[in-house]
Amino acid sequence: MSRSQYVRANYQVNATPQLKMLSDDQCENVLNGALEVLERTGAEIHSEEALEIFRKGGCWVDGNMVCFPSHLVEWAIRSAPSRIVISNQKGERTMFLEGQNVYYGPGPTNTYTIDPFTGERRRAKKSDTVRAAKVIDALPNISFAMDCGTVMDVTPTLSDVHAFQAMLENTNKPIIHWGFGIDQYQDIIDMAAAVAGGLEALQRDPFILLYSESSPPLRHSVEAIDKAIFAAKNNIPIVYTPCTFSGGVAPATMAATLVIAVADSLVGLVAGQLVRKGSGFVMGGLISTMDMSSTILSYGAAELSLLSAGLTAVARYMKIPMFSTGGCSDSKVIDTQMGIEAAFSILIAGLSGANLIHDCSYMEYGATSSLDLMTMDDEIIGMVKKILGGVLVDDEHLALDVIDKVGPGGHYLADDHTMDHFREFWAPTLINRLRFDGWKAEGSKTMAQRVKEKTQDIINNHKPEQKSESVLKEIQAIVDRAEAREANKR
Amino acid sequence: MSNYYEEISQSVISGQLDRVKQLTQQAIDAGIDPVEIINQGLILGMSVVGARFKSGQMFVPEVLMSARSMTAGMDMVKPLILSEDIPSAGKVVIGTVKGDLHDIGKNLVSMMLESAGYTTINVGVDAGPEKFLQAVKEHKPNIIAMSALLTTTMLSMKDTIELLKEEGLRDKVLVIIGGAPISQDFADEIGADGFAPDAGSATDLCKKLLA
Repeated sequence: MSRSQYVRANYQVNATPQLKMLSDDQCENVLNGALEVLERTGAEIHSEEALEIFRKGGCWVDGNMVCFPSHLVEWAIRSAPSRIVISNQKGERTMFLEGQNVYYGPGPTNTYTIDPFTGERRRAKKSDTVRAAKVIDALPNISFAMDCGTVMDVTPTLSDVHAFQAMLENTNKPIIHWGFGIDQYQDIIDMAAAVAGGLEALQRDPFILLYSESSPPLRHSVEAIDKAIFAAKNNIPIVYTPCTFSGGVAPATMAATLVIAVADSLVGLVAGQLVRKGSGFVMGGLISTMDMSSTILSYGAAELSLLSAGLTAVARYMKIPMFSTGGCSDSKVIDTQMGIEAAFSILIAGLSGANLIHDCSYMEYGATSSLDLMTMDDEIIGMVKKILGGVLVDDEHLALDVIDKVGPGGHYLADDHTMDHFREFWAPTLINRLRFDGWKAEGSKTMAQRVKEKTQDIINNHKPEQKSESVLKEIQAIVDRAEAREANKR
Repeated sequence: MSNYYEEISQSVISGQLDRVKQLTQQAIDAGIDPVEIINQGLILGMSVVGARFKSGQMFVPEVLMSARSMTAGMDMVKPLILSEDIPSAGKVVIGTVKGDLHDIGKNLVSMMLESAGYTTINVGVDAGPEKFLQAVKEHKPNIIAMSALLTTTMLSMKDTIELLKEEGLRDKVLVIIGGAPISQDFADEIGADGFAPDAGSATDLCKKLLA
């Protein structure tokens, strides 16, 4: 069919359905609110180095209290890059934190983990992070690694370093990782540099993002802000993420909760930009409500999705890459509640266009990590990515010639056009669509059983691509060095 | 006379601070026994609040408003009573441990304890073993309560317990701990006397330990 008359000028395409939670005017309103809070109320800063940086940068410093002139914050927003490209551990550029690209991954530092074999809820061990890294490595829709639980069977102050080693040895995906303090951050950077082939190679094609949490409202501990400064000094991108929950550390209204979250992120941003203009900064992060009965910070609340999408809109407005949340649950077991909460938050976070979406492993309001949940989330993300792909509308996909050829009452099953395109359908790997007898013949398994089997199968059989002996040795030497240092401190 | 008790406790339940103050003043002026104002009015109201919170009929902000109202009434009545006659369920020194600035949970526990009739001494955040020790020496509490949000800072709880032992004070005071990373296992491991997973059960724990 020839369509020479077909006018394509200014033809609008909705390539990806999207959810813009706030209009630009609303984003501006929230940002102005945050700027006003920073200028008027200020933030409490517990680091001498940060206080000095802020003072020199033109902030008003009075003891631990720092007030930020709006022009300085606006300068920092403009000075930070709007796009950060993260590589995998082989140096291949895999995550483009720009525009509305979305990448999903698990979460860090849970107090407990569910043993995927025994079902026991217990403290995480280093071997659990090994398992987690294998599952992360194997799941196609999980784009980056986090530690999935604070490792408790190692030197306590090196839990971070050991978890990082466990991840380096069992996956080649990018890693977002936390550290207790600057010493550990140095260990982590050195280990990452060993993998990348030197610090400069790591800086040029970073496969790690450092991770720091402030303590809202408007309070930044030594560890939190010094880590932002350290990351900027070392030219490694950082995720600076206040954990803001409405009614607890922020007013009980969502707009004000966004204001606090934006303001606290901006404190980290200003520190980093004053240290190194243009240093990579990703704003966060976790934002939800406090449940007023149990006082938990809810990971399954509708408000988690609403607020996360709202914060993402403000981040997009500022052109700062965004670290958001999804795939998590308040449920204590793999059940319907978990499925509902994980699916909603993954979908809304995806539609909102947040660049990094973490916590696809968090159950029990974040207290416990679950590799089973991550496996189930991988399936949900698959569905969501298909939805984000939208509906392609062009001549090939309109297929008017094919419709004419088959004609009324025909079928398309054996048509070449069907052969060419039916694989564009999303194909489930865990969702069950068998007819009843087929499902029964396969053991009448529930989703939870199928998820568990897949997770166990990955742990038992997946073989991540190994790093060279010399790199592994270098990593071990850095862990040994850290152990010696901590032993000296005691 | 019983009317005052009823009205005071109802006003505590509905968290009407000014009304509680007004009624308490009226009761005092009417010559009602201050101890009874506390027991039959203020604390009675708060115990209803506690029960309703547990059953999910009331929520944390409402409980805090009630607690604040009760405390306001208490502050008016207390000066009229000999200190030994002031009803107190016990004295608790409470703080967030060294290196940790997170105090919302700790403050919540503190308010819950006060509303259950405990006297609390809040040593704030970033409180090292010495700070707890000093508070124990100074205030002679029945219980010290330590809070931590971080897996690193929670280790400082053990140091406080060790210091109390070194000073020969461990037998004089009960130690309870709480916070996101804390568990019963951890409490057992470091030799604490108790652990509570949330603010409501922290009060129950103190009641149990001091029974």
